[in-house]
Amino acid sequence: MSRLLVRKEIVRGSLSIIIGLAIWELSTRLLLDNELLIPPPSSVLITFWNLASSGELNKHLVATLIEFICGFTTACVIGIILGYLMGMYKWFDEIMDPWIATLYSIPIITVVPLIIIWFGIGIFSKVVVVFKITAVAIILNTAAGIKSLDPVWLELAKSLRLSDWQTTYKIRLPGALPFIITGMRLGVGRALLGVIVAELMAANAGLGFLLRDSSETWDSPKLFVTVILLAAMGLVSFNLIKKLEQRMAPWRQSAEWSSE
Amino acid sequence: MNERKRKLTSTFLKAGSVIGGLVLWHVLATVVVKDPTLLVSPVVVAVTAYQMLFVTKDLYPHVFASSWIFFYGFVLAILAGVPFGFLMALNTSVRDYVNPWMATLYTTPRIAFAPVLLLWLGIGAGSKIAIVFLGCFFPILINSYYGMRVVNRDYVELARSFRLSRSALFLKILLPASFPFILAGIRLSVGRGLTGVAIAEWFGATEGLGYLIFFAGQTLNIPILFVGVAVFAALGIIGFEIIRIIEIYAIPWRKEPQGS
Repeated sequence: MSRLLVRKEIVRGSLSIIIGLAIWELSTRLLLDNELLIPPPSSVLITFWNLASSGELNKHLVATLIEFICGFTTACVIGIILGYLMGMYKWFDEIMDPWIATLYSIPIITVVPLIIIWFGIGIFSKVVVVFKITAVAIILNTAAGIKSLDPVWLELAKSLRLSDWQTTYKIRLPGALPFIITGMRLGVGRALLGVIVAELMAANAGLGFLLRDSSETWDSPKLFVTVILLAAMGLVSFNLIKKLEQRMAPWRQSAEWSSE
Repeated sequence: MNERKRKLTSTFLKAGSVIGGLVLWHVLATVVVKDPTLLVSPVVVAVTAYQMLFVTKDLYPHVFASSWIFFYGFVLAILAGVPFGFLMALNTSVRDYVNPWMATLYTTPRIAFAPVLLLWLGIGAGSKIAIVFLGCFFPILINSYYGMRVVNRDYVELARSFRLSRSALFLKILLPASFPFILAGIRLSVGRGLTGVAIAEWFGATEGLGYLIFFAGQTLNIPILFVGVAVFAALGIIGFEIIRIIEIYAIPWRKEPQGS
């Protein structure tokens, strides 16, 4: 019964997409024949193919991905270390807390101009933007995870005479893992937004640059290609992390409503 | 006694961290960097803020301009998001057909839509409100949907056994039960809406806080840039707290906020 329901859902979903695209194609071809305002899907597809085969799209996509990955991995490493220290040592937590809270409450994209002034218009400033966004989310969640460990586990570690390092490695970090992944998930969406904003403001490559370039030259099909590509990136990264989260912490309800 | 001592140490550490950080910032700005186009001392920022607030009163027009944009986008998002979320929750076929589009729109970095909306609605207030609307709409929609879905079955059974009519069921059971979730969604959307304001005002605005930050960034006016960021952070915190207070009074039976 429930499998039937799922199949029905999938059928309806695909049907909805196909019908939506058909309406879009027909209405832009017949009613609103203006490529500038809304290009039909077919011409978006053709532009996509042209951009992809000329290698231009590749260049921008790779630039954005490198910036994203560099910032994200650095943020994971440093964020987990700082978060762990904050969870372990009360005094460290209290020293960091006001600054982390301040950083957290500032809308990310308002500091992008400042970061560009400090770190230039190259790849480095975007890495910093991604880092800042992701690190704050991971620090807060790691600290929360370490603090909310079940004391029974720690007692178990003690009675097994685990060393401090072993306790950290075998008990504390795995125990905090679901929290850490939640932090990563919160970071991904915002970091994607941040990197695009930074590229939009000052860059010479990347999807944000492409977005700006195409909107300033009134190249609507190219603009739509970029938008659709960004949508795909968002969708893929969101679902990847959600899968990872379900895998690592299957006992936690998927928390999609608490995004960003 | 011990408790009091702990609290005292905590306050002391926090205050020390804030003061120490500010002193470090001041030294960094005046001794190490010595370049007002890169970094200025917190004292200069405070003086600029004071002047903009009380002497020249330059800040207010920007705050008002941004507030209107935010207000309209936010209210429209509530008016559209809540009923739509309910509709999706109560009618599975609507949900199945709409879901793929909503998931895509939701996970796309919002900045991608800014140029498109600009293309369609021009550089006036319309496109700005639309950008804010897009930011606020999805958390509200998803929370309304989820709140309606997870209403306790017992409540519904109770209503059935009292032979409540469908409209009474909706008004007396479903609506109040999903209210906490709706408010949580609204709370989440405050921050997203503010980010939306900043994005919107980067494109062809002549006033507003986003414009102020953008302009200060372009002219390397670091004090104003810092003031703008601080005002954004303050507005975010105020908005968040207002919703929290509403939550406390509107849903006294609620123990713990969801999705924060």
